[in-house]
Amino acid sequence: MSAPLPELLAPGTEPAVARASRARGRGRARNLRVWLSAGFLIVLVCACFLWPLVYPVPKPTGGSILESGLPPLSPGHIFGTDPVGNDVFSRILYGGRVSFEVGVSVTAIGLVIGGVLGTAAGYWGGAVDTVIMRVLDVLIAFPALVLALAIAEGLGPSEMHVIWALSFFSIPAFGRIARSATLALRGQTFMLAARLSGTSRRRIILRHVVPNIMPQLLTFSLLGIGVAIILEGALSFLGLGIPLPEPSWGSMIAQGQGTLSASPELVLIPSAFLFVTVVALNVLGDALRERWAR
Amino acid sequence: MTGALLDIEDLRVTFTGRGHGREVQAVDGVTYSVYAGQTLAIVGESGSGKTVSCRALMGLLPPTATITGSARFQGIQLIGLSDDRLREHRGANVAMVFQDPARSLNPTMRVGAQIAEAVRAHRTVTKAQAREQAVDLLRQVHIPLPERRCSEYPHQLSGGMRQRVMIAIALACRPRLLIADEATTALDVTTQAQIMELLLELQAELGMALMLISHDLGLAGAYADEVIVMYAGRIVEQAPAAELAGHVRMPYTQALFEAIPRLERPAHAPLQVIGGRPPDPAALPQGCAFEPRCRLAADDCRAAAPPLAEHEPGHRWACWHPQGGAGGMGPPGEKGSRS
Amino acid sequence: MAIAEEVREQAEPGAARTRRIRPSARLTGRRLLAAIPVLWGVTFLTYVVMNLLPGDAAQELLGANATPAQVHQLEIQLHLNEPFWVRYGGWLGGLLHGDLGTSLASRENVTTILGQRMPVTAELLLYAFAGSIVFAVGLAVLAARKPNGVADRISMVVSMTGLSIAPYVLALVLIYIFAVKLQVFPAIGYTPLTASPGANIRSLTLPAIAIGFPLFSVYTRLLRADIVEQMQREDYIVTARAKGVSPWRVLIRHALPNSLFGLITLVALNLGTLVGAVAIIEPIFSLPGVGAILIQSITDHDVPVVEGIVVVFAVVVVLAGLLADLLYAVLDPRIRYERAAS
Repeated sequence: MSAPLPELLAPGTEPAVARASRARGRGRARNLRVWLSAGFLIVLVCACFLWPLVYPVPKPTGGSILESGLPPLSPGHIFGTDPVGNDVFSRILYGGRVSFEVGVSVTAIGLVIGGVLGTAAGYWGGAVDTVIMRVLDVLIAFPALVLALAIAEGLGPSEMHVIWALSFFSIPAFGRIARSATLALRGQTFMLAARLSGTSRRRIILRHVVPNIMPQLLTFSLLGIGVAIILEGALSFLGLGIPLPEPSWGSMIAQGQGTLSASPELVLIPSAFLFVTVVALNVLGDALRERWAR
Repeated sequence: MTGALLDIEDLRVTFTGRGHGREVQAVDGVTYSVYAGQTLAIVGESGSGKTVSCRALMGLLPPTATITGSARFQGIQLIGLSDDRLREHRGANVAMVFQDPARSLNPTMRVGAQIAEAVRAHRTVTKAQAREQAVDLLRQVHIPLPERRCSEYPHQLSGGMRQRVMIAIALACRPRLLIADEATTALDVTTQAQIMELLLELQAELGMALMLISHDLGLAGAYADEVIVMYAGRIVEQAPAAELAGHVRMPYTQALFEAIPRLERPAHAPLQVIGGRPPDPAALPQGCAFEPRCRLAADDCRAAAPPLAEHEPGHRWACWHPQGGAGGMGPPGEKGSRS
Repeated sequence: MAIAEEVREQAEPGAARTRRIRPSARLTGRRLLAAIPVLWGVTFLTYVVMNLLPGDAAQELLGANATPAQVHQLEIQLHLNEPFWVRYGGWLGGLLHGDLGTSLASRENVTTILGQRMPVTAELLLYAFAGSIVFAVGLAVLAARKPNGVADRISMVVSMTGLSIAPYVLALVLIYIFAVKLQVFPAIGYTPLTASPGANIRSLTLPAIAIGFPLFSVYTRLLRADIVEQMQREDYIVTARAKGVSPWRVLIRHALPNSLFGLITLVALNLGTLVGAVAIIEPIFSLPGVGAILIQSITDHDVPVVEGIVVVFAVVVVLAGLLADLLYAVLDPRIRYERAAS
């Protein structure tokens, strides 16, 4: 997948442009974006995880052939059924669980490990920096999809393996962001002041560095969750992700390929969910970045 | 011709802040005139509004600026003119030279091309003709080996040469008015003098009016015919340079004069500074803006802002308690050679 | 090296060239030298990964029903029983002689396989890149003309869409709309350039859009942001406006060339990640390119083929980096002359 170089998309590349007469209006528009996208995501996550607990839906697997190929808005199957008879709506919900679990896990791993490595590299500099950066560079230069595919294929498809494989992407990405953010911070006078006043290194990192780079890392995380969800979808699409018959938006799309002309909804419905989820994450990430960039 | 080249009347510039709705009053009602062939200096601290008022004329302010008032160039009203019409004047009738030539020239474009561009913006000439004119202009600003310089990039030239290139660009279409906005501030003292001499020479040659914007009152006194002192967006004193040198009225101007370091002072004497800071342009006071820092301040200064009026012929000031009599600079400093 | 000389010749006709050639040659040489360990590291890592994973080519070829004896025999035939270092050394030695080995699955020469398939992939990627860059520059310039104006708002929406859509989703949607419903483009299949240029372009258009649209979105965003920053923060822009230069010319002749650096960096670095995109898109459209066999080769544990593809892409990435450096020097004379001075 073409994941663009993290720093060039990181906060700071888009200057805050405000046309005076509409400045206040834009602030309100931005708030709207934040609330709409955040709201949508919360609703979706709740639906995926809680709906089946609260309101009974057909199981996502083990459907009967008798019910196969039903179109959307059929009684009992709001999104219809797939060629094997599974209810599409419940597969969307359960597939959504997978997407969010993988997306958040991969991003969290990247944030913690990559963030720590990157901050260390940026703060200490010197040999530590060089070593860490070389390792991250090799990981980035590596045709990562090959690695991910190989891991996923070799170890067998499963959600955990997908998370491990994708973490190979996210750790270096967060590492670079954390490092460049820390470096930018290091040049500032208040850091020097803190050192001169005798603050311990640990305290400096915890009280000064971390709170200042967190906004950048968090907005990057939101964008990262979107990327991870797409990548999980890609692996599942190739059959190397979540094993069938467990649902995943990616594998649903792959399955629907065969009947694209006859029943396009089998491709379009999971595609739509995938798309809208990532859009919401991107819009939220963008809006927060703008707000915190002042 | 006694008609003014440029007539500014009650010019006001307001900036609307980003997303806060705060209004910043950068220029608060400025009125003056510039005559053909005249050298006018506008002096003030940073934030006094001197640069903003000039950029407002040329329409070079960002869209966050609201400009009201009148600015007539040879009778044509510039405020409110569409950008297309203003462009006809920019560079052709009114030209500007900016402060930092290192940043004011396009680093990836050859010097000759940048000058030629200024020519072709207003005249229909071929590329070759424009290049010839560029070489001529470089010659006019006394750059040696102009043909070679044309093919070079800005970073290959020294600061002084870059500023000469800026001047060449400004002169490309023989403007009637040249505005030098802190044109020598970023240069070393020797180069400063050279550039000032060049400007005066060109002014004489081309019969241009010259506006010098600076924070350096000494410079203004040495090279200008008429001096305007601005503070917090308003004009606080205006007089011919010679008059000002002898009879300063506004305490602020006096303080500025005293702040100029002088060789005549005893060694190790502390530098005179004006205590305090200029007011926040987003929250201008009701009374005189200089009052908090003025040694002649009284209660009426806080109550209402003094109006600018011509209290003596040719000498305007805005002060409730002007200092009387002699003051100012003492013997004038080195003057540039003028025709 | 020759390219650099030509570029300088055009830029500085008749100027003294000797001092400028040596530093650029030195720099390029140094970069190439630095690239070698990276190339080696990448191939080595690939080899390690492929071998660490359970299973091997013999197993895959014979299938699940093969007896251990059969598998073992095939392994000996394919030299898979030899220790890791021997195998890797052998492959590396072959590589240094220009021999990429033989496919374990199809017994064909890897160089031949790549030779047949690389042109298809190369054309697809060229098409996708060219399209995405050209449209990105166009849209970014339009958007930057009036920040937050109509064109800008549209560009933001469009690029947000492109960033959020997965290439495989886009591919399928495109197929549905243009191939199934509108029947304008073929859904699958590839016509070589030599057979019919028209059909060739048509067979590659949908896949190129699937790959190029996300790229276009990223590029547009970045370029627009860079241009707006130049227009608003830089003094030479004020000078240009003060000269009376038309707004379009200020934008295109002054701001744009100074804004391209971020874009060039991004394009060069993105190139390597396209292996993944190609691996997914080509099978969807049944294009006989390199990506189409990549996944299969990984599944087959066909190490020589996988390595071959990895090497080719790694070399492309290195060359792209050098090209980017060259472009910087062309665009920014300060870089050119800094090198001469150093």
